[in-house]
Amino acid sequence: MTKNDFIKDLLECCDLTISNPTGETLLQEIEGYDSLAIMTMIAYIDENFGVKLTGKDFSELTTIDSLIEKIGKDLITID
Amino acid sequence: MGSQIKKISVHFPESILTNEYLEKEFGRWEADKITNKIGIKIRHQVQKDETASDIALIAAEKVLENENRNEVDALIYCTQSPDYFLPATACILQEKLKLNNNCAAFDFNQGCSGYIYGLAIAKSFISSGIAKKVLLITAETYTKYINNKDLANKTIFGDAATATIIEVNNIERIHEFILGTDGSGCNNLIVKNGAAKNKYDEKATEYQTDSGDIYTDNNLYMNGPEIFNFTIEAVPKAVNECLAKNSLTLEDVDYFVFHQANKFMIDYLRKKIKIPIEKFYSNMLYTGNTVSSTIPIALSDILHNKILQKDSKVLLCGFGVGYSWGATIINI
Repeated sequence: MTKNDFIKDLLECCDLTISNPTGETLLQEIEGYDSLAIMTMIAYIDENFGVKLTGKDFSELTTIDSLIEKIGKDLITID
Repeated sequence: MGSQIKKISVHFPESILTNEYLEKEFGRWEADKITNKIGIKIRHQVQKDETASDIALIAAEKVLENENRNEVDALIYCTQSPDYFLPATACILQEKLKLNNNCAAFDFNQGCSGYIYGLAIAKSFISSGIAKKVLLITAETYTKYINNKDLANKTIFGDAATATIIEVNNIERIHEFILGTDGSGCNNLIVKNGAAKNKYDEKATEYQTDSGDIYTDNNLYMNGPEIFNFTIEAVPKAVNECLAKNSLTLEDVDYFVFHQANKFMIDYLRKKIKIPIEKFYSNMLYTGNTVSSTIPIALSDILHNKILQKDSKVLLCGFGVGYSWGATIINI
């Protein structure tokens, strides 16, 4: 999965919206990013990458790039 | 000597909280989003002067209609909202329900795993000869613990009570159990103040979650993402252990009834465990998450609406606050 595909898929699956998202987009600035969205993201990442992120992980994340870093760069192609 | 579930009654307080009200009051989530994602349209709430034992009494009266009350020889009451520190609320209910003085009565403190624990206790009482007819009551009023400015928890939890009669039977219809605990998660779903450790504090500090919800240590606090992580780890394992203990495979089970935590969570668990959708109960639209009452509410729905054929094998699984979990197989 490429980085762009990941960002598009993640936002769509988790009902999140922001115009022109990039790796540098801050998670907190994404519309709809709250505890419900985090739960959805945990499920999405568990289902698609087999990686379990905790609530604490999310409180330490800043940008979409930091999320990709946490999942593991080898699972998402940086284009 | 075996045991079986004979009857289940449920009771919901009259007052309701709608998604439309939550949308208007908080402006954060649209009513439809709550319905689609969380799977809840309305939840019931007790009045200020109403307690869990009040709604428990109504559910118990319903289930005892046409029953010989003198035959009830154990009353087991599952709640995390007791009337007093002491005595046990079950003793008060014994008197109000006019049950025999030879009836054992006690409370136990469990949340979402509570019904499974209750069935395990009832079965043990019956198989050991201590009791022949057990009245298991679940009643919870979490809405009293929730801060008025906490949208996430107000959306999820509702109040309810259920009453189940479990009685001796020639054939065993409540099968093997698995029960489990991980107390390391105790702080992720907790009401910190009001009991022995910390007194209720009128001037308790207000905290704000990342999502903007407000709570104090007098209120119910739930770390949703951590609870979700616990369930996706513990529940598939519990289901597999329960199947193994009952010498069954997933395919042998006719129907699965999980604690109705929220739609998103249980749908995800269903997919993860690979349970076919037609074999999986999911309905909390008009009740919300009623803690220890969700499984008996589901069973009551199944029985009243004849969703399953007689003797169907049903796997029940409860999980949550503690962390605590349990699973068993029953014939319905």
